[in-house]
Amino acid sequence: MRVGVLGIGKTPHKIQHGKSLRGLAVESGRAAISDAGLDPADIQALYVGNVGSVGFNYENSTGLMIAHHLGVVPAGSVRVEAACGTGAWALHLGCVAILSGLYDTVMVLGAEKMNDLATVEGTSIIAQAADSKEEYFSGLTFPSGVALTARKYMQTYGLTEEDLAHTSVKNHHYGARNPYAHLRFECTVEEVMRSAKVADPLKLYEVCPMTDASSALVLCREEILRDQPDKPQVYVTATQMATGTWYAATDTLDDAHALFAAPAERAYTMAGIAADDVDVAEIYNSFAIQEPLGIEGLGFAEKGKGWQGAADGSTWIDGEVGINLSGGLLCKGHPLGATGTTQAVDVVEQLRGTAPPDMQRRDAAIGVSACRGGPGAVGAIHVYQRLEG
Amino acid sequence: MTVSAIEFSRLGPPKLRLYAMRCANGHLSPWWEHHHCYQCGSDTLTEQELAGTGELSNYTVVYYPPRDFLGQEPYVVGHITMDEGVLMPAPVVGVAPEDVTVGTRVKATLRRMKLGHEGDIYYSQKFVVDKDAAAPEGQPS
Repeated sequence: MRVGVLGIGKTPHKIQHGKSLRGLAVESGRAAISDAGLDPADIQALYVGNVGSVGFNYENSTGLMIAHHLGVVPAGSVRVEAACGTGAWALHLGCVAILSGLYDTVMVLGAEKMNDLATVEGTSIIAQAADSKEEYFSGLTFPSGVALTARKYMQTYGLTEEDLAHTSVKNHHYGARNPYAHLRFECTVEEVMRSAKVADPLKLYEVCPMTDASSALVLCREEILRDQPDKPQVYVTATQMATGTWYAATDTLDDAHALFAAPAERAYTMAGIAADDVDVAEIYNSFAIQEPLGIEGLGFAEKGKGWQGAADGSTWIDGEVGINLSGGLLCKGHPLGATGTTQAVDVVEQLRGTAPPDMQRRDAAIGVSACRGGPGAVGAIHVYQRLEG
Repeated sequence: MTVSAIEFSRLGPPKLRLYAMRCANGHLSPWWEHHHCYQCGSDTLTEQELAGTGELSNYTVVYYPPRDFLGQEPYVVGHITMDEGVLMPAPVVGVAPEDVTVGTRVKATLRRMKLGHEGDIYYSQKFVVDKDAAAPEGQPS
């Protein structure tokens, strides 16, 4: 399969009290339409990834609202929701829409404005992405649910908190260089270890911030992009989704691996590549522990060894595969519905060669984005390739 | 305890008894609403009362709580492997975080879980350290 990436756009990722949800969406949407060289009227369908506007902003019908303000009326528009995998699911539906042959040009747009509310309210809304009636009734939160996974990982593979802290150091190295990132500072292992406890063993520098942001892609039929050789020839060459466990209590480390490993295997087959071919990957890491788990699930390291690349350099910019050269969710923040679309935009920038200089992997030609959601519920893998000639 | 219709539907049935769901093939699943057994897919499930004792098999200490747990931080919440073998997510109360560890013996107790609208009080199962339990071998009691 090949779906052309005709345009990309994103807003800064940060706390944006001066902007509305719709304002952020229009900002990224217009940037993507402009980058594609189109007019809003050329968009035939709009897939909006948004998780919590009902709770965060007291707004619903988000897809329709954004279609109106973006001026893509009368294109069909819909809001997509799949916990933290929302943006990736919107991208999947956009790809499927193009591949179906029904549409020539569609827009996929993620948007979330989380900072209209205090952290405690936001945490409670996010907890609804798990079973808030049952499991999270027990005082679990997303950080504490993932903390249980981190403890299991450390115990199973005999690791220390210092071992895992290298992941945050690497992310912050690149996040500090990303003008669109929410947290732009570097840190050391010692500073990670000293940062405030959130949910043992997770510490503040191993947890993403709540962020306001939007990002968007214009997708098109393969022929439309191929017929414009002056445009960067970046295509989505695989889109694969999976569902895993809905409860933290029943989510084993094997489940966590399978959530990415199963769709990744299908995606590599679909794209005709192997894990070794991948130059750059954006891997979901709202909590640092999810990066090594993702690295292992994607086949870049054996089980229990995904944390090593951040310590020995093999997942840095010149390593075997560049992981989260954007700073990851740890630095960009995690604007729920926009996270998957921002991952996609960041991978496309790498393949176009337009990432900021200190983040640009040399000659990146094959990229992967891996998004997940829920306690262990959503796995989403996309492969992107620069295909010249 | 009163339960308004709205809160009841939001929260599910009150958890006044500690039970697991047993499928036709004998597999146990945690107490939340199930429509099939996670191990074999059987859709015939019945409630089985649990003795209420178990072992803390994984835990974390929460420093930033959700709204319903504000004021209780830092608190211990984790996975308790009940003696019947089923895993329960639950808070462990009445103990300092540094005094629990993986393997700590715990027992269930009915406690207030949250305050609802209009003064409704929700009770459910929390766990306390089981001081009557025999100390694991090799450790002083």
